[in-house]
Amino acid sequence: MKRLWLFILALLLPVLPVQAERLVSGISNDTIQITSSFDGERLTFYGTIAPDAGSTERVVQGPFDVVVVILGPTQNRVAREMTHNFGIWLNTEQVEFKRFPSYFHVLSSKRLIEIADINLLNENYILPEAHAMAPNPAGFMKTLEFGRELIRLMSQDGLFGVQENGVQFMSDTFYSAQLTLPSSAPPGPYIAQTYVFKNGQIIARKSEGFAVRKIDFERFLAQSATQSPLLYGIACVVLALFTGWLGGVLFRR
Amino acid sequence: MQIYLPIAELSVNLFFLVGIGGAVGFLSGLFGVGGGFLLTPLLIFSGVPTSVAVASVTGQVVAASTSGALSHYRRGGIDLHLAMYLILSGILGAFGGVATFSILRANGQLDLVIAVGFVVLLGFVGTLMLQESVRALLKQRKGVVVRDRQPNQHSWIHGLPWRVRFKKSRLYISVLPVLLIGLFIGFVGSLLGIGGGFVMVPALVYLLRVPGNVVIGTSLAQVVAMMAATTIMHAVQSQSVDILLAFCLMVGGTAGAQFGAAAGQHLRGEQLRGLLALLVLAVAIRFGLSLVLTPSDVFSMAVAR
Repeated sequence: MKRLWLFILALLLPVLPVQAERLVSGISNDTIQITSSFDGERLTFYGTIAPDAGSTERVVQGPFDVVVVILGPTQNRVAREMTHNFGIWLNTEQVEFKRFPSYFHVLSSKRLIEIADINLLNENYILPEAHAMAPNPAGFMKTLEFGRELIRLMSQDGLFGVQENGVQFMSDTFYSAQLTLPSSAPPGPYIAQTYVFKNGQIIARKSEGFAVRKIDFERFLAQSATQSPLLYGIACVVLALFTGWLGGVLFRR
Repeated sequence: MQIYLPIAELSVNLFFLVGIGGAVGFLSGLFGVGGGFLLTPLLIFSGVPTSVAVASVTGQVVAASTSGALSHYRRGGIDLHLAMYLILSGILGAFGGVATFSILRANGQLDLVIAVGFVVLLGFVGTLMLQESVRALLKQRKGVVVRDRQPNQHSWIHGLPWRVRFKKSRLYISVLPVLLIGLFIGFVGSLLGIGGGFVMVPALVYLLRVPGNVVIGTSLAQVVAMMAATTIMHAVQSQSVDILLAFCLMVGGTAGAQFGAAAGQHLRGEQLRGLLALLVLAVAIRFGLSLVLTPSDVFSMAVAR
């Protein structure tokens, strides 16, 4: 029996892809702090493709392709469509996308369709469209249409994007990628998924997290507004009354 | 210089905010109105989410009306008794307005209702004001003495029951129209993010015949109290009051208002009213066009709760 297993194993070994590479990677910042002067931030993703720990190989054989997917916190989003009724334009149809990423960017070393098969890309949520394909009570055709429009709108606001020259190889195995996170990037936990492709297959992947956080005063304000809204509202009114009074005193109206 | 607004979650140029606050403050000082009807649309058209714009301008209107209300109070230009009725009914109306606001926002119809509200309200008030001021200007040119107010003219409003004596306004009238005016302005003001001074003043003058020396003061006192209550309600209900945005607008607004008031001394009442009417109509037309013209993008998106 044991011999039979060994025989089967021996037959299979040459067929299985040899996972001899691993990815060593990092991000330039692990937290992005939103201060009052926050106007976006630049991030660098870098890494190198090295032989796997148990591998006997000393060097890795390319060529490799690298794709970095940056995913923001999820939100429920609605896409709405206006139609012309009774002479005016109004929102008549809407589709809600539950747990939709608030931020999604793909950086790649060359054109995605040249890197891998579209199905493989979709399965791994590497294409923006993959996020709008989740089953939706609105029905398939509508989900498809509104999903595409939602992605277009998100792209216009700089929240979704694909940069197919976003990853640069410094050597055969060392890459770096730069991303400018816009000021409209919502705060919360972010995930950066890095995929290494070789001959159209994923041979290594790694995910790392970073956070976009309001700090100091912005954090204090945002927290008070949601956690003690009554006090926050009263504070707004006191501030308004004081400013108005001060204005009157200063200018002696 | 960019400043990050923590509730709107976007960064805006600080000088732009203080600038439009100042410009609107100047106009509000010039015409003696709160300026909410200009500020809310300006913010919406410059990309601030509608809900944040409405709620934050509510806070700015409080600041803009405070100094005026205080100076009228010192001069004894406020009928506190009448203001009390208007404030209480106004706050009641604002409850309805803020609740409607939340429902509309969840259904995606907030922008539509605000646009329609601005078109109807501003269009109506603007047309009336324009008519009135043109008539006054024409009469003046012919050399007829214009009287602002006919004190002994009574209408059906003065025949309603539950009459109350308002000493300072020298009125003995039913509380029904007073409460209705308060309710209406509270509802519309909290929904559209305007103080409603430009509706309140004509209503007090033409419907209730409140004498000129207490009209502005009473209206301002009502605006301050009602909008203060509305700000708190918006903060609790929709959590869309951006204190930083409101503060930038307040600073610009209170400064601008002083220069506006000084400039207003050089213009005559009818001319001022005529100009204000044109401004009000311009805003109404701008909103009207946004409803009628084919939008550049029929799709829009929002974060659902």
